[in-house]
Amino acid sequence: MEGLAKLVTSVVKESRIILRDRQALILFFIMPVLFVLILSLALRDAFGDRPGVTFPVLVVDQDGGEVGQAVVSAFAASGHFRVERAGRPAPDQAQLEQAILEDRYKFVVIVPADATTQAKRRVEELAANAPPEMLSAAPVELRLLADPTLRVDYRIMVRAALAGTLQGMEMRLYGRQLEQNLKALGLPAELPHDPNGASIFAGIRDVQLHSGEKYIIPSSVQQNAPAWTLLAMFFLTVPLSVSFIKEREQGSLFRLQTMSVPAWVVLGGKTLPYFIINQIQMASILLVSVYVLPLLGGDRLDIGNAPLALALLGAAASLAAIGFGIAVALFARTAEQATSFSSAVTMIMAALGGILVPLAVMPPVMQHFAMLSPLAWGLNGFLDVFVRGGGLTDVMPEALGLLAFSAACHALAIMRYRSRL
Amino acid sequence: MNAPICPETTTPSPPAVPAFEVEDLCKTYKGGRAPALDHVTLTIPKGMIFGMLGPNGAGKTTLLSILCGLLRPSSGQVRVDGKDVQQEAACIKRVLGVVPQEPAIYPTLTARENLAYFGRMQGLSGDHLAERIRACLETADLADVADEQVCHFSGGFKRRLNLVIGLIHEPKLLILDEPTVAIDPHSRYFIHQRLRELHAAGVTMILSTHILDEAEKLCQDIAIINQGKIVAQGRLEDLLRSQRGNCIEVRLERDPPASLADTLRQLPGILDVLVMGRDIRLTTPVPDEAVAPLVATLSASGVGILSLSFGTASLEQFFLTRTADREAS
Repeated sequence: MEGLAKLVTSVVKESRIILRDRQALILFFIMPVLFVLILSLALRDAFGDRPGVTFPVLVVDQDGGEVGQAVVSAFAASGHFRVERAGRPAPDQAQLEQAILEDRYKFVVIVPADATTQAKRRVEELAANAPPEMLSAAPVELRLLADPTLRVDYRIMVRAALAGTLQGMEMRLYGRQLEQNLKALGLPAELPHDPNGASIFAGIRDVQLHSGEKYIIPSSVQQNAPAWTLLAMFFLTVPLSVSFIKEREQGSLFRLQTMSVPAWVVLGGKTLPYFIINQIQMASILLVSVYVLPLLGGDRLDIGNAPLALALLGAAASLAAIGFGIAVALFARTAEQATSFSSAVTMIMAALGGILVPLAVMPPVMQHFAMLSPLAWGLNGFLDVFVRGGGLTDVMPEALGLLAFSAACHALAIMRYRSRL
Repeated sequence: MNAPICPETTTPSPPAVPAFEVEDLCKTYKGGRAPALDHVTLTIPKGMIFGMLGPNGAGKTTLLSILCGLLRPSSGQVRVDGKDVQQEAACIKRVLGVVPQEPAIYPTLTARENLAYFGRMQGLSGDHLAERIRACLETADLADVADEQVCHFSGGFKRRLNLVIGLIHEPKLLILDEPTVAIDPHSRYFIHQRLRELHAAGVTMILSTHILDEAEKLCQDIAIINQGKIVAQGRLEDLLRSQRGNCIEVRLERDPPASLADTLRQLPGILDVLVMGRDIRLTTPVPDEAVAPLVATLSASGVGILSLSFGTASLEQFFLTRTADREAS
């Protein structure tokens, strides 16, 4: 009981010291929330593969026929594009480039005048086996202008979609020509005209894997909210270790060692207030991501249906961070050493663990190495809940990993504390 | 976590039991070339202020840390209030107060909060704790500023608070490490007065200090530690008396050659020679017989004698003589 009373007293003392440091409080709570808000809004388009991301596309349909219509329909059908048709007179190349540079459109597709007529004529000539030098209609060329700052893979994706549309168009035109040719020969030729009723391929069913697939690209807020929660927790190791070292330098830790104060009271007195701060950090980041971010035009964070899993992850990540901070404090000789070491190691663990760059976009080798970082375990746990719809049992491996890391750090710290006696 | 069973809390140990007993104590740090403590033996009876003197790095802090139970000795026996410092550390901590060299306080807490925190860590609570906080604030004359954050205190106020935090649990034994370093004479006098009051109340104190004047004013017994060894120990008056008349001091007209100390050590009756610039201090049991060859040697060296006197009476001179090996090395 006496030990417990001393622990409570130590927690109250540490909380007083923390609460009297206003600058630190701002850093603890305001900074991570601001980071989540800013990065979730700024990086919305960088996390592509998710519903809700729409790229504005302008179709300059100088054709006005089937080809132009097919292009517009293809973009509209994908759901990833907000399609606009250019009015008349059609803007010239310079105006279109300006529109892209001003970020009004991510892509512009130019369907040249008479594209449909030219395509049909070319099909007729090719079907008539005209020699190449006798072909009057050149192949129809569409032009694609894209935002130069856009990722290359988006550009490739759009080009592939357009190519698919044009191939479909080509097949339809050939089919009609074949029908006409057969009719001219007096042969019955009724090819199916309803493309929906007579498809050969049933399209592509996109099968979403949940538990089996490890890395799914999260949305911006799904990535940033847990990532910055974890980073904020681990960055708290800097003030935690500095406060511990200051206590050592000021001699108060030495004084406590001359009293009958067990190591677990000294360490627990430091740990608990920072644990509470970590939980407040997590709660505030999640609340802001759910309620404030949508008001600013961002996506709302869907926190899933497993509050217990989130609580367990939050507690485990916090204990891991605090254990790391205490161990750094006990092994570092000076506050400067602790500050530079803990912030450098935290940044390395963050970079490795998919906090700065999502795990899903890392190459497989790096994904393998990422598992060395406790931040990756935490992030994976949060993504289990946010992205994969996981529950308590799904996050258990990550939570246990974090708790084991915490236990190892605390054990090292206690051994070091005692060895100094 | 139960409190240790410490019989002395109900039955005080007899006065004949020394407050501190150190027997053949050795301590060598990992990777250390020389032992920090080399076969130290020391007995400090109850009820005195015991001065622990020595140059920086002599081993004082190591010895004090072992007495506090913060360091494990490499070998030897250490008993505090009759109890083994390793086996019964928890019991010893209840009767031992420590006043560290640097004010070991939380700057953003108030004086009262600091006292309350350390009081609770010493196991005090309720009315008893409140009464002890009041008494300590009164002892340190800090009642008027009790609710101000300590970071706004002057150096003297911080040292007073540092002292009374060490007294919060009314220890019978007190270890003070440089309690008045770097403070103004008023605050130093204030702390000296409090230490005298504690002495009058029967508290045994070990006072580690560099301020030799402080040791002369406060301590009954002293020990001088140098290079891990006790080089002098006993009642202060006896030590000074033993030196009186056993010394010759010479001031030269110019700096002597480096070889002079060795030359003088060869003279008959000279036990030790300490050269500090133009001042030379020679230890000899026969100063009358030693003076003639000394003057002759100095004249032959061509350094010229500005003054020559017999006798050593101050602790400072005694201290410098006893720690001269280190200076010379």
